[in-house]
Amino acid sequence: MQTKVLEVTGLEKRFKKFHLGPMDFELEQGMIVGLVGANGSGKSTFLRLLMKLMREDGGVVKILGMNWKEEEEEVIYKKKIGYAGELLESFDSTTIKDIKFFISHFFPTWNEEKFTRLVERYRIDIDEKFSKCSKGTKKKIDFIFAMAHEPQLLLLDEPTSGVDIVSQKKMKEDLIRFMEEGERSIVLATHTVDEINQLCDQIMVMDQGRITQSFYKDEIHDHWGRVWVSHITNNVKNHPNVIRFEVNPAQIVTNHVSNVEDVLQAEQITINQTQRLSMEEVLEYLIEQE
Amino acid sequence: MKIPIHVSDESREPIYHQVETQIKTLIVSGQLHPETPLPSIRALASDLGCSVITTRRAYQNLEVAGFIKTVQGKGTFVREVKNEHMEETKQKVVHDAFEKAVEQGIQVGCSEEEINHIFSDVMKKNFK
Repeated sequence: MQTKVLEVTGLEKRFKKFHLGPMDFELEQGMIVGLVGANGSGKSTFLRLLMKLMREDGGVVKILGMNWKEEEEEVIYKKKIGYAGELLESFDSTTIKDIKFFISHFFPTWNEEKFTRLVERYRIDIDEKFSKCSKGTKKKIDFIFAMAHEPQLLLLDEPTSGVDIVSQKKMKEDLIRFMEEGERSIVLATHTVDEINQLCDQIMVMDQGRITQSFYKDEIHDHWGRVWVSHITNNVKNHPNVIRFEVNPAQIVTNHVSNVEDVLQAEQITINQTQRLSMEEVLEYLIEQE
Repeated sequence: MKIPIHVSDESREPIYHQVETQIKTLIVSGQLHPETPLPSIRALASDLGCSVITTRRAYQNLEVAGFIKTVQGKGTFVREVKNEHMEETKQKVVHDAFEKAVEQGIQVGCSEEEINHIFSDVMKKNFK
């Protein structure tokens, strides 16, 4: 089963000082993709464009099998998406209870029982005004509203930033549970290595408005590594798959272990040990590399 | 629902294969009894830090080989494994472990004689 929930082609948005795209991107049903990249790389803009919170300057999107440009279809697919960004800011001095009254009417699939359960789970006081809540609490409320109408696709913009550790863990559990029920998918913009490790199947790296890398997480496991060697020659130093090297003790970091092994053998260099890299280290190289 | 498996940082063996072998070992050694529920592919992927593609592949292979079964809507469970199958797997697990040990011996520069000597020492210690 390879149904695509998102097919983005040539998506573009131009601002005075920032240009997003053209972006091409696909997401299969049942997958979680992690969107990573430095601050200002365009992750939030991408999600906001998908939600039509701003107008694009070019490109086509198919979302949940529907044409993103058709206004009649927009009403349908938006009800099937859970978006947690900064959508609620406009409610400002409204209480959570009143926001719920408003939002729940928009979604035919609204699950009141689920909302109540989540509000208790994250200890949200629904009589509080949204503007009075702390940054972390606002994030939790965003998350609850994204989940409570049983969406098929979640678009989450740094859902755990500023959130306490216990609630972060609960959110991860809730997302795993969300994925267990039927064919659902998540796009998760994040700066947290744990979330990439524990939640994502795919990783997409963004830099200056463009997708610079996109792969399944296991490809990192299969190809990236640190190799300790007897010595390093110029041919090794200049090899395109060698990302970094150190002389003492001699070691190289590579994004393709087997390619580099061939070169090492040709150069008659002995391999002492090979180790996989941690996700944290790989992300550091990927984001810094650009 | 956690099961004691982990992905090695040193091994170049693909993750799905590591998972497969470790679950087989747990079943053959009797640590996982028939009908024991296994974590979902999503939960296992989360524990191991890999994708669901990998865990799904491992479960599919285990299912084809008759070690586990999936019950629609209920989850994945350990199956009763046939005796001959048990024996075969047992042999393979031990064989692979020896192979790894010998590889390591060669890596640190042991001669055949030295490795043989160590092997008979270990055997003597365990089977008096």
